[in-house]
Amino acid sequence: MDEIKSLRKDAVDMVYYSSEGHLPSALGIIDLIYILYKKILKFDPKNPSLDGRDYFILSKGHGCPALYAVLADVGFFSKEKLKTFCKFDSMFGGHPDRNKIPGVEASTGSLGHGLPIGLGIAIAMKILKKPNKVFVLIGDGESNEGTIWESAQVAKNLSLDNLIVIVDKNKSQAYSLDYDYKKIWTGFGWHAEEMDGHDYKEIEEKLKMLLNSSSQKPKIIVANTVKGKGVSIMENNPEWHHKSPDEETYKKIVEELR
Amino acid sequence: MRKEFARLMLEMGGKEERLIVLVGDISVFGLREFRRNYPERFYNIGVCEQSTISIASGMALAGLIPVVHSIAPFITERCFEQIKDDFCYQGVGGNIVSVGSAFDYAGLGCTHHTYSDIAILRSLPNTEIVYPASPKEFELLFKQRYDNGKLTYFRLPEKKHTLALEESQINFGKGILIKEGEDISVITTGPQVDNVVNASEILMARGINVEIIYIHTIKPLDGELIINSALKTKRILIVEEASVRGGLGDEVSMAVGHLQGISTYRMGIGDNFITDYGTYDEICKKIGLDRDGIANKVEEIVKK
Repeated sequence: MDEIKSLRKDAVDMVYYSSEGHLPSALGIIDLIYILYKKILKFDPKNPSLDGRDYFILSKGHGCPALYAVLADVGFFSKEKLKTFCKFDSMFGGHPDRNKIPGVEASTGSLGHGLPIGLGIAIAMKILKKPNKVFVLIGDGESNEGTIWESAQVAKNLSLDNLIVIVDKNKSQAYSLDYDYKKIWTGFGWHAEEMDGHDYKEIEEKLKMLLNSSSQKPKIIVANTVKGKGVSIMENNPEWHHKSPDEETYKKIVEELR
Repeated sequence: MRKEFARLMLEMGGKEERLIVLVGDISVFGLREFRRNYPERFYNIGVCEQSTISIASGMALAGLIPVVHSIAPFITERCFEQIKDDFCYQGVGGNIVSVGSAFDYAGLGCTHHTYSDIAILRSLPNTEIVYPASPKEFELLFKQRYDNGKLTYFRLPEKKHTLALEESQINFGKGILIKEGEDISVITTGPQVDNVVNASEILMARGINVEIIYIHTIKPLDGELIINSALKTKRILIVEEASVRGGLGDEVSMAVGHLQGISTYRMGIGDNFITDYGTYDEICKKIGLDRDGIANKVEEIVKK
């Protein structure tokens, strides 16, 4: 989709012009976040605290250039503002701040926090008898954190069927760890699925399936992704994890995303 | 104090629909009436304190008022980053009510002691620290502060003090002048106030008149009361069941640091682990936090 190519370019621009940010992580999840906001989530960009909204938490906060690009695209703020990314007085930092950015539900950065926060919101929705859903995007590297597995047990015990977790399985940690997450989460008592994290049709279909599922279990879907997707020199190349392109490379990337 | 916590939650549960109690597999029996009356607002999350703090933050983000209850070292020192990121930085309010302060779990050893909870939590923005050592203080201070948009830490000791305080004296952020004196200001918190009062009686016989200030709110501190006392006596001794590095002693030193000619001294938990077992009173005696230990320290300071 050309639209997502353009959002990829926005993420590249943020990192190129600021010389800061985790670009490959953002490129790997931008398709997921785009489909979430375009096809799945209920929200109102003119009223970010809308009572009936669904919640989305980017637990792997360093992927935020993708979130910022999508939030601008769906109207939470102007795209022009993205140019301030990581500047001194910008509202857009290298990790998202809920107190600065409309549409950001939780400030994240340190890994392993977003899932239990989302779990707390999901419990709150049950207490308040509200139908709002809670989506949390976690990373496979992040899944080393103990709080992920603490949350796995608590959500199962409380039958939080309003919680949908997406695991960005980009295997960037493949040198040390590579787990069959679908099997593991199934073992924890969750309804677990798997998908191609870059196939727009499949993302939409699978997320809608989970959204409409009558299962009482919390849901999780393992999204197989390519870190750096769409920018060939960055794809699955760990060198780029926290690096900005120089001018020559930037021009090549822009050409590729044209 | 744990019984008062259970009683107060039951009372508050009926008055405040947004109040949610989360426990770390403790006090489940004690809170049975709360759970029976408000089953949808009681959660035994289990032995996973870090996630419990983050879960409580999520509840607060959704407009509820969480009260997290567990043993002090596990729900504070273990969870420092969750408290920092998910309450303080997030900018949402909630309450942590701990039991097992300092070395209350004397026989269980150092893993169950808490020396640094006050020190670490006072270093975080958007926190308040309350150390109520009587049921009435906890009740009044909780009611004053449970819904204030900040992370309020209530450190409940096992031992209660025996001060007869009027309700009108118990106000968040305000210290209480227990006894006037002119030779030294002893500023204390928690159940140690009884030892300080008893020590002052011995000291009177030795010709030393001690001023005593009791502090239940460590952050924000009643600086005005302490400064006025310090200007009068010129000597301050802080007595607390917490690390002498970073606790009430630091907060008081910050308050009087700009004054000329004031000497400050500290009694508390030093730069060692307390590896003895036994009872709370035995540990107090060992580290000098008893009547005679405090009296001797005061005499040593005044006669310098």
